[in-house]
Amino acid sequence: MQRYKLFKCASAAAANNTPFIDREEKARTLCGKCMTIVLTDARVAQVTKLIIVVAMLGWCAPTPAHHVLGRPAYSLNEDSNTPPSMQVEVQIGEYLISYMVFPAFPRPNVPGRINLYAYHLDTDEPLTGKVTFKVREDGWFADSEEEVIGTQLPDDNVYRQGFVFKEDGNYIITAAFEADNTPYLVDFPLPVGNTTPIGLLGVVIAILGAVLLGVSIAQRKRLARAKVRTARQADTLDARSSNDMGEL
Amino acid sequence: MMHPGLPPGWAALVGVAVVVLSLRTLVALRKPTIEPQVRRAAHSAPGTIMRHVTALAPWLLLLLKIALVALFLLIVTAGLFGTPIPERNLATALTWNIWWAGLILTIFFVGSFWCAVCPWDTLAGWLVRRRLVRRAPTNNSLNLRVPRIIRSVWPALLLFIGLTWLELGTGLTTNPRATAILGLAMVVMATVSLALFERKAFCRYFCPVGRTIGFYSQLAPVELRPADIEVCARCTSLECYHGTDRVEPCPTHLAMGRLTENTYCTSCGNCVSSCPSENVVWRLRPPSIEAVQNARPHWDEACFMLALLALAGFHGLTMLPLWEEAISSFARLVGDSGTLLLSFSIALLAGLAVPTMLYSGAVAATRRIAGIAVEYKQLFSGLAFVALPLAFTYHLAHNLGHVVRESAGIWTLIFNPLGTGMQPLSVAEKQVRHMDLLIRPELLSTLQAGLILFGFWVALQVLRHRGQRLLPGGVLAGFTLLPMILLAIAFTGFHLWLLMQPMMMRL
Repeated sequence: MQRYKLFKCASAAAANNTPFIDREEKARTLCGKCMTIVLTDARVAQVTKLIIVVAMLGWCAPTPAHHVLGRPAYSLNEDSNTPPSMQVEVQIGEYLISYMVFPAFPRPNVPGRINLYAYHLDTDEPLTGKVTFKVREDGWFADSEEEVIGTQLPDDNVYRQGFVFKEDGNYIITAAFEADNTPYLVDFPLPVGNTTPIGLLGVVIAILGAVLLGVSIAQRKRLARAKVRTARQADTLDARSSNDMGEL
Repeated sequence: MMHPGLPPGWAALVGVAVVVLSLRTLVALRKPTIEPQVRRAAHSAPGTIMRHVTALAPWLLLLLKIALVALFLLIVTAGLFGTPIPERNLATALTWNIWWAGLILTIFFVGSFWCAVCPWDTLAGWLVRRRLVRRAPTNNSLNLRVPRIIRSVWPALLLFIGLTWLELGTGLTTNPRATAILGLAMVVMATVSLALFERKAFCRYFCPVGRTIGFYSQLAPVELRPADIEVCARCTSLECYHGTDRVEPCPTHLAMGRLTENTYCTSCGNCVSSCPSENVVWRLRPPSIEAVQNARPHWDEACFMLALLALAGFHGLTMLPLWEEAISSFARLVGDSGTLLLSFSIALLAGLAVPTMLYSGAVAATRRIAGIAVEYKQLFSGLAFVALPLAFTYHLAHNLGHVVRESAGIWTLIFNPLGTGMQPLSVAEKQVRHMDLLIRPELLSTLQAGLILFGFWVALQVLRHRGQRLLPGGVLAGFTLLPMILLAIAFTGFHLWLLMQPMMMRL
């Protein structure tokens, strides 16, 4: 049995008893004489750790749970009922149309899905006819040729259209249908993959560069003209003064 | 998610106070007004602090400018290359939830200080003048004079309406890429303007944010003014206006000796550095003194102030749940389709026109009741200052709600500004953010109600003092200003009603 020099409680100190504990029972902190809790080295270390942990917890922002109704949001795919999505709502003619894309940010060669809901604004009745989905590239210099992805009938009032894109890019999805003898065409943007706007930055830099360069050239010309003008005026003055001297 | 509105109890209290203040003003109008005197704070503790800050100003400003330019570039990078989820991208969250909402709050304390550290102007200055601190040679810019036709606040007003249209009509606030593009566009405009025109024409005539700050800072408790006006009266060199070999001239053509209003002061501190007599200092003052007494009325500025009032209310209106239904019905009426931009544009124009017409009618009624030959335009411009406190305090109360309720979670974006690998906010996260307020909701309601009441009180002061100056000869002894007071009550009531409604989160 090895004795440890510990903090004495008041009673132990008065009785001149030295509290001790077994090596195997470090966690127990009673002095054994007066039944008062003694702060052992081990307990000091534990309390210090506890203070550090509490301080860290207090410092850190509370982290919300990642589960909604027991479902981890990050493991859902396009076949799930409630995957993360991007949603757009538009009002066109007599219909309110909601458009959802799964997953929220489609990537090339990964299957995705479009869900389209169409309801009549007055009667709240869902659309029942066929909807044709088409796609084309978006952009000023893009190929404007459209490609039909598919034609769908409603399933439980939802038009579902699957897709797989092979390349990154900005696309326009067109949903076409006819209701009350009126043709409807609705365009929705669909960015696929990484579409970094390097071109836009280039335009900004080009504008700034052109303006700064133009101003610099114009100012240099202006300064050069001013110098020439000053030099000519000085020459004229010199010539006049020498003529005056000659006459004298 | 919806933010709860101001409790009806608070609205009732403000309503009672509005009635009492109105009656008190009507009684007070029978007595001649004593012009309020500005109490200077030259020897107070804040005054001493300000003098020390002013002495360090050039270096402090440079450090702040560098920090804000770095933050601006981070925002542009996040907007262009980060996630399109608005609440997970620093560009949208910081720009619209913190900066745009908080900017109005800063005016309440430090006036137009933002203009002194504005990253758009700083970047433009670095690009064109190619100097960090000292005065740049003049040959970096064409230094053309701004055409006379646009030497007013009309360009800034048009851009401000355009900015509101983009913000509320096209959903710019929820599009990180568009937010970044807007920031870059402002830098391009500032740079082109600096390269073509003399001094800072962009800040003076074009910048919608700067002009909004300028007008609102008429109600700020600080001002940059001469310590001794006699020193300025004796000055013949006007370094504050022309600058020195080392210090740039005043960017907005202001001479300190004649400066009576904050509207065009960008707080850049050039005058502080250039004055050889060290006669330019920051001063504390009563917040309403300028709108009540000092600012001079101009036609274009009056229209800008009215537009601020109209757009502040319109902004609040578009965030109400009933807005979507109303605009949808209106779209069907006019045969609009798609994202309903046409309907929104018409509504925006109506939102501008209705308050302007109400104000015009109140001015006409005041003129008729007064029964004296005051030019309508003069009365229109002179009394337009009443719009300023009403717009500013509602704008403050509205933005306070956004900042207090939507700032939670911004720190997570500092560590992941591009929102890499993030998913849209889950319902649970939205709920947590919704419950995580910066201050207690009771305190928020108190502040909002107090601000609305303060705005109404300042509006009454403006009417009382400016009314007596514009309508001389004791004509105010009756109910001459009653139409204007009723107008102020109507706008205050409308703003209270807006604050009482549940409001949609910005992101």
